[in-house]
Amino acid sequence: MNRDLAGRVAVAGVGTTRYGKLPEYDAYDLGVWALKAALDDCGLGFEDIDGLIINRIPDYQRFGEITGINPRYTTITPGQGRFSGICIQTAVAVIAAGLAETVALVYGNNGRSAGDRYGGASDAYGSGGAGLWFPYGMTSPGAFHALMMRRHMEQYGTTTDQLGAIAMAFRGHAALNPDAVMRTPFTLEEYRAARFICEPLRLLDYCLINDGGVAMILTTAERARDLRRPPAYVRGFAQAAEFAGSTFPPADFWRGPMQKVANDVYAMAGAGPGDMDALMIYDNFTPTVLFSLEGFGFCPVGESGPFVADGKLALGGSLPTNTSGGHLSESYMQGWALNVEAVRQVRGECGPRQVADAALVQYMTAAPVITSIIYGRDPQ
Amino acid sequence: MSDYAKPLPPDDPANRPFWDGAKRGVLMLQRCLDCGRHRFPAARYCTQCRGERSEWVATSGAGVVESYCTFHRAYWPAFARDVPYDVVQVRLDEGVRLFSNLVGVPRERIRTGMRVRASFDPVTPAVTLVKFAPAG
Repeated sequence: MNRDLAGRVAVAGVGTTRYGKLPEYDAYDLGVWALKAALDDCGLGFEDIDGLIINRIPDYQRFGEITGINPRYTTITPGQGRFSGICIQTAVAVIAAGLAETVALVYGNNGRSAGDRYGGASDAYGSGGAGLWFPYGMTSPGAFHALMMRRHMEQYGTTTDQLGAIAMAFRGHAALNPDAVMRTPFTLEEYRAARFICEPLRLLDYCLINDGGVAMILTTAERARDLRRPPAYVRGFAQAAEFAGSTFPPADFWRGPMQKVANDVYAMAGAGPGDMDALMIYDNFTPTVLFSLEGFGFCPVGESGPFVADGKLALGGSLPTNTSGGHLSESYMQGWALNVEAVRQVRGECGPRQVADAALVQYMTAAPVITSIIYGRDPQ
Repeated sequence: MSDYAKPLPPDDPANRPFWDGAKRGVLMLQRCLDCGRHRFPAARYCTQCRGERSEWVATSGAGVVESYCTFHRAYWPAFARDVPYDVVQVRLDEGVRLFSNLVGVPRERIRTGMRVRASFDPVTPAVTLVKFAPAG
């Protein structure tokens, strides 16, 4: 962790496509659409991009060919949600090291139209050994999180109604977000009536599967200050992995690596959990929100269920979280759209879902690779 | 030929001692000859100490249920008749984890922490799955 990097790099531009079912666009098209929007957002052109980080789009060379980008630095990462945070951190490091000045991060996901499934014969979640467990009917990241949730319920008395409070809060946010895919609020009774997919998790505990693209433009803080929009400064970032034994759910709900990341990211930002004006928590499934709140120290271990039950994650509560609606209700953009929402919140652009005076917003993801990024309205 | 339609384990030569053991009603694990710890699935190097020398050993098949979940959706057509069905996460006394199914216990009696023992289910002439039943 290098505290000198705090505030030296900023997000200058963000761009998003429409979300939903977009069968006429492939992953490259969605990436170009988002990148054009991000460049327009900050007032830069394709010729200004000298670093390119591609996620989920199949091939970086083809992407560079169709957009005419000839960068000084290029990389591509697997289409797993944990990589959005990793890519943004890489961009900050590349810029801080002087390898490139203006990095475009581009993500395109045509999973809905391509018929992607996250369980069954194509299941590649985890470290690749999934086929070994198919004979027992074990498959899907949803089941992995159902196993974690069941253990949390038996250890701490957490309830599925508490998961319902999370899903309802995020849907309420999506109702205020014209870009969100699922915008109709539901009641706790309707949550309880939703069908189980892998018990204890119901359909409303699962993220969406939809098409869309996201792009971000990162550059030095100095350059960002000269561009069209207010910079969103990267005030802190940190990462830790827990790969040993990671075919199976972690005994500590990833608390160990999350505590490491929390220590580093808060030290770099010179702030703590109590200073965050809003949170963007990677919500592949509702239980991940509970695990993240405990791991990052927002509530004591085992108390995340009661912690979320009083509605504090909703706008107007003490800890507004996933103000866009998140993966559950806005769009399954694998962390990218949550980072964009963090940027838009610190810029004050979120209209009816704006958190008043949002100066610090934290993104976090709980997975075998834990990342967190703190965005600030001010450089220090 | 069998008309068994559910997925079968990948025929990985490295794991054959495990599946051959299951057919004999023995739960076999790979054991490191350097640090003595067990592992499954098979790996050339010990996942704990990176040692390369190993052997396959018989175990008691005893373990504990760490968690469980209930599938209401069938991801393969052959599981459609089974839903809702349970999957358990078992930690063997040797420290190795497996996903499997429980036999001989109604769903409402499944709990984390319950002791279980391997139970062998010959699903085809060639393949016996390792499932678990309540111990004792």
